[in-house]
Amino acid sequence: MSSHNESIIREPLVTGKDITYAKVTDDILLPVENKPNKAWWIGFTMAALGALLWVFSVGYTFWTGIGAWGLNKTVGWAWDITDFVWWVGIGHAGTLISAVLLIFRQNWRNSINRSAEAMTIFAVICAATYVVAHMGRPWLAYWIFPLPNQFGSLWVNFNSPLVWDAFAISTYFTVSLVFWYCGLLPDIASVRDRAAGLKRRIYSILSFGWNGSVKTWQRFEIVSLILAGISTPLVLSVHTIVSMDFATSVIPGWHTTIFPPYFVAGAIFSGFAMVQTLLLVMRKVLNFENYITMFHIESMNKIILATGSIVGIAYLTELFIAWYSGSEYEMYAFSNRIAGPYWWAYWTMMTCNVISPQLFWFKRIRTSIPISWVLSIVVNIGMWFERFVIIVTSLHRDYLPSSWAMFYPSWVDVGVFVGSVGLFFTLFLLFLRFLPGIAIAEVKLLLKSASLQQKSKLIKEGHLDSEQVEFFRNTLTKYDSVTDEEIKELETK
Amino acid sequence: MESNKQYWKGLEELQQTPAFVKESKGEFAEPIPVEDVLNEAGLSTRTPRRDFLKALGFGVGAVTLAACNRTPVHKAVPYLIKPEEITPGIPNFYASSYKGQSVLVRTREGRPILLEANPSAVGLNCGTDAGTQAAVLDLYDQSKLKGPKLNGADVSWDELDTHVAAALNAAQAAGKQIRIVSSTINSPSTIAAIARFTEKYPTTKLVEVDAVSYSGIIKANGRSFGKAVVPHYRFDNADVIVSIAADFLGTWLNGEEHTQQYIGNRDYKSLEKGKMSRHIQFESGLSMTGTNADVRVAIKPSEEGPLLIALYNAITGESLPGAISTNQKAQTALKLVAQELQQARGRAVVVSGSNDVAIQTLTNAINAALQSYGTTIDLDNPSYQYKGDDEAFETFLAEVGRGEVDVVFFLNTNPLYEYTNAGALAEALGKIKFKLSFADREDETASELDAIAPNHNFLESWGDAQPRGGYYTIVQPTINPVYNTRQAEQSLLLWAGDKTDYYTFVKDYWEQQILAGSSKTWKDVLQTGFEFKGDQPASPYSFDTSGLGTVAQTIAAQSKTLAKDVEVQLYQSVAIKDGKQANNAYLQELPDPVSKVTWDNYAALNPKFAESLGLGENSLVEVAGENGYTITLPVLMQPGQAMGTVSIAVGYGRTKAGKAGNGVGKNAYPFAKLQNGTMQYNTSATLSKARGSYELAQTQTHHTIEGRNIIRETSFAKYKENPGHNADRFADKHKTYDLWNKYEQPGHKWVMAIDLNACTGCGACIVACNLENNIPVVGRDEVRRRREMHWIRIDRYYSIEQGGQAYTEEDEIRHLDDMENVSVVHQPMMCQHCEHAPCETVCPVLATVHSSEGLNHMAYNRCFGTRYCANNCPYKVRRFNWFNYWNDSRFDNYLNNEFTHLVLNPDVVSRSRGVMEKCSMCIQRIQAGKLQAKIEKRTLKDGDIKLACASACSANAIIFGDANDPESEVSKALKNERVYYVLEEINVQPGIGYMTKVRNTYEA
Repeated sequence: MSSHNESIIREPLVTGKDITYAKVTDDILLPVENKPNKAWWIGFTMAALGALLWVFSVGYTFWTGIGAWGLNKTVGWAWDITDFVWWVGIGHAGTLISAVLLIFRQNWRNSINRSAEAMTIFAVICAATYVVAHMGRPWLAYWIFPLPNQFGSLWVNFNSPLVWDAFAISTYFTVSLVFWYCGLLPDIASVRDRAAGLKRRIYSILSFGWNGSVKTWQRFEIVSLILAGISTPLVLSVHTIVSMDFATSVIPGWHTTIFPPYFVAGAIFSGFAMVQTLLLVMRKVLNFENYITMFHIESMNKIILATGSIVGIAYLTELFIAWYSGSEYEMYAFSNRIAGPYWWAYWTMMTCNVISPQLFWFKRIRTSIPISWVLSIVVNIGMWFERFVIIVTSLHRDYLPSSWAMFYPSWVDVGVFVGSVGLFFTLFLLFLRFLPGIAIAEVKLLLKSASLQQKSKLIKEGHLDSEQVEFFRNTLTKYDSVTDEEIKELETK
Repeated sequence: MESNKQYWKGLEELQQTPAFVKESKGEFAEPIPVEDVLNEAGLSTRTPRRDFLKALGFGVGAVTLAACNRTPVHKAVPYLIKPEEITPGIPNFYASSYKGQSVLVRTREGRPILLEANPSAVGLNCGTDAGTQAAVLDLYDQSKLKGPKLNGADVSWDELDTHVAAALNAAQAAGKQIRIVSSTINSPSTIAAIARFTEKYPTTKLVEVDAVSYSGIIKANGRSFGKAVVPHYRFDNADVIVSIAADFLGTWLNGEEHTQQYIGNRDYKSLEKGKMSRHIQFESGLSMTGTNADVRVAIKPSEEGPLLIALYNAITGESLPGAISTNQKAQTALKLVAQELQQARGRAVVVSGSNDVAIQTLTNAINAALQSYGTTIDLDNPSYQYKGDDEAFETFLAEVGRGEVDVVFFLNTNPLYEYTNAGALAEALGKIKFKLSFADREDETASELDAIAPNHNFLESWGDAQPRGGYYTIVQPTINPVYNTRQAEQSLLLWAGDKTDYYTFVKDYWEQQILAGSSKTWKDVLQTGFEFKGDQPASPYSFDTSGLGTVAQTIAAQSKTLAKDVEVQLYQSVAIKDGKQANNAYLQELPDPVSKVTWDNYAALNPKFAESLGLGENSLVEVAGENGYTITLPVLMQPGQAMGTVSIAVGYGRTKAGKAGNGVGKNAYPFAKLQNGTMQYNTSATLSKARGSYELAQTQTHHTIEGRNIIRETSFAKYKENPGHNADRFADKHKTYDLWNKYEQPGHKWVMAIDLNACTGCGACIVACNLENNIPVVGRDEVRRRREMHWIRIDRYYSIEQGGQAYTEEDEIRHLDDMENVSVVHQPMMCQHCEHAPCETVCPVLATVHSSEGLNHMAYNRCFGTRYCANNCPYKVRRFNWFNYWNDSRFDNYLNNEFTHLVLNPDVVSRSRGVMEKCSMCIQRIQAGKLQAKIEKRTLKDGDIKLACASACSANAIIFGDANDPESEVSKALKNERVYYVLEEINVQPGIGYMTKVRNTYEA
């Protein structure tokens, strides 16, 4: 953000030769300003078919009733709330990246925040569909809000975590949407300025009359900071409240004080994994290697490692407390997770969430794109199972053994879940087609300070500690977007 | 002073320039282009902004108005002329009887909707069994015939009558026989009507045969004591009860009456007096009675007879040959049992479930030796509930075979389904010229006959019954016939040329015969429902032991033929019994008290035995009987089942019962065999694993308490030392803190007490609750998905004993090698109406809230179905409407059709899809009771309000009342030392107290 020179030992955030402001705009707007390629069409077709499956499955549920799902008298929530929590969790990375990292001036966020925020919004949309779809009478969903009404003194139950949840999710969605859209304004203006005809008119409306004046930029910065300040507590509060849906109950395996921090860590964990899944493909397909660099990938992998370890410790703490509590129901709930009929779900969760991220201790693994991509998916499989384990294995065997039951999903359960993934990707692919996937304006801020070009210039100018230069050069070896020649060039000087 | 000053706004005004003058005339400075717009050219010009807004406003308004739809008006049509006795909203009760039990029929606006026991009746005066409760649904069965049929075509009654008369006269003229084949008829008026018919057609003979026969007992009593009757058992006088394979609390003879008698010596009131009977059960399959026994020993069917011989020898010191030599456990138990019985002479009873004359004769000998006659067995006021004679039916078949019978009528019997050799019967029927059935539907038999003259349901009929000596009950109609049916007795009278209305016939019969010499009038009887002439003094009977040697030899020989690798025991399930009510959806969905299976029969095998045959859960097994009859059944792993035996319920496998009952299970009647003139339900078979798998629809799939203290039990000996023994096991004694405010309950506080010692697990309460609260039937598939809607369920837990230790954890039980020694407890479970209800805090819309009377309310209209309350219920008693059960074609076969809708209780709404529901403690009854007290300007008394479940319970296991009234029965019951609360340690403060299960075991 600042124009002063950044330390040479910091790794470059933008690579590539001859990077100018114009080139940044050209590169990033390439998918927006051109016809989509074959890869996009294939992806979009599959995603749209998924979205259609979602429409069909949810429509079928609305038509026949929740009986279309596999739920029963004992297990009243299963895939629905598993998917809901999974999507809300995924949504967390966006806010963390855009708000918390902005406040901490982590400017590497500039290249990834746009997509991460978009992902957040789409993930929260997917989550919100479950809030409505899981209801027995979804047409009355608005009753969750304390609306003035003519039914007498009918009000919501402020003791119920579901009411808190409705507030948390709707606040989160609104703030995320506003934050994302504000950030988009200068970039939409860039699209507008380069477009013609109808497209220009549409983007003109969408850009809210952005004119690029100093005053506009000043307000933009202030709004960004204020929204970041508002969003930061949301990162913690949303999943805390989601966890209270379980923690305030009496069901063994749910009734746990560790849930809020454990859920927040898990959410960030899964969110970063989803960002990784998306961006690794996006940077390749859209040629964004110079903007989303190995440094970004590695940083995110480190966060996945850290949050994954927190989650792992939370799992072990839960087990310890279950044993230490001496409560037979609690102990049974956890031994049932480990060795009950759903043992495979528990061990899938443990393997995916605790063991697999530990591989990121190895630099070669966390800088390997294919492995990172696979592990990011593994993590999200693990996080889905975490929610499944918490919800289903706690409910299916609670207090009275007479009511113990198994849960088996129906095709509609699967359809709604696969469909929601389709819906998510449909929205994300449309986003990439119509809006810049990287924050152009924010990346431009990095050009004069944190780009390889700038740092190479400094090295060429001399005056730098050779040891530091050597260090810098070594860090470049992991970059797939930096050629050996470029590194060699720096050596000869 | 007037001012002439003139202010001008500009020079133009002062000078009155022509331009100013022209402009000052308009209201607005600029002209409004009204004309321009309104002329044709103007309308096609560019629309000004205001017009756009106007058009928008008008458009939105118009569209909104157009989109509005008038709310449809549903008119409730009042009575044009109100019947004197009907006030809409107020139920009327009529005294009637069902299968000899005096009942009160609750009707609403002319529709019978519920049966309850007549509280002033003789004998069974509290509670009804599940079949009786569900019988009201049979009235509205959509699968019944809508009118008479002749040769498969719908005809009028006149046509049918002409045809029948012709057939009868032809038979008469040819001197051929006429037969009426019926199940037991104990109605004096029906017998009189048949007598009237016989007068006209003297070759008529009545053949009584029951689907499940008791003729062994009748014959044995005839031989032993010269009284060929089923005695009236008096379990209330018995301190020691030994049952050899008799399910006397469930399906054997009169289970409900036995329950009432039996529980009187075992419930909390009896325990408080320090008295508890001891009940020892020897049986093959685990029956409901077996689950209530203090000691239960698994024996094979072939060991029943030898066991009785051994018992006789042990009691009398004789040494009849053929005493049991195989089952070591049974022999050990036998010694103790014999001692016990000898000490309790005159206060003991031995019953045998066998239909074999020899075995029953030996049982009589034992009872005579125990001086049971006159105390626990009453031969002088015998039961007339089962009079069927298997030999008489065989004689009938022989007559038919010889071509002597030209006309046959079938009344309340379905032999092509129930008779063991349906093939032979069908062949015989071909030789009869005219065959007619009075069945209410085209059942397996009726559909094969020439004509069907559909009979009334008992709720549409006049009639009576004599269930036992000296006791007469009345049957009176409570509704006009639902379909175009005619009472069978009326048909017989008409065909006999007697035009008397059957009502007059019954009335005359009562006035001339039954009420003769009594001060009561016909009207009195209609009000009380019964006439009791008093018991004959029960006298002791002596047994002539001279022939016992032959009897023992017969028993030993029969036992030898029966003892094969796999012995089969046929039994009646508590819900479906002999299969007559197989089309009753409530009964099909009633979980079996022991196996918790709905909608199927199955081959019950000991898990260890099944394992040895390579069978497991969901396996199918092919059962091939001695006579070559083979069926494939799903396997049920039944702890307590004797090794080497398989139990199969009869009453299933109906093919023409109706939409709900067709194809449910397999028919097991053909396995039965006739032996020495009586039908035998013990036989042998070979088992082989069949291909495929089949999942039984069970409402409970985990069968043990896993060592949890939700069930607390003790022995009678420990109870006598300390009545509170084990009741407070593990109870938290530490101080508890509440997040909640204490609810004030200044008026009433409705609570329940449930006596685990009284509950036999029969499930009558479940059916009563279903009917009272309009609970939908969901069908087999939905039960498999664990979505049954029952508000009250009975949890059944097994514990397996081995080596003197009881195992309650499934992991341990898996490693045991003997699964025969099982003890069972039944725990009725429904909404506990917790003071700190976990469901209430989590509901986002306050759809479930606490009342000032201690009830946990459910506002269906407010519920939008997040299901959080059900998840958070520790007792898992909340039920969710997964579908719109009352308007969804996939449930049409059960209750969702225009006829069965008539059984709904108008006091309770039927719930729509997506709404949670659960036990409301029959809030409509509480409300009605309070209103009644208010109308009568008095305070509510204990007992004014009876819940549906409690009033159906013959064992008085459910006690409901006001805890704020210290004198109420429930307040007193809850002061009992045995009371504990399920899951009290999580401090939800449930409102339902349970009393420990006490077993009168030996080792204690």
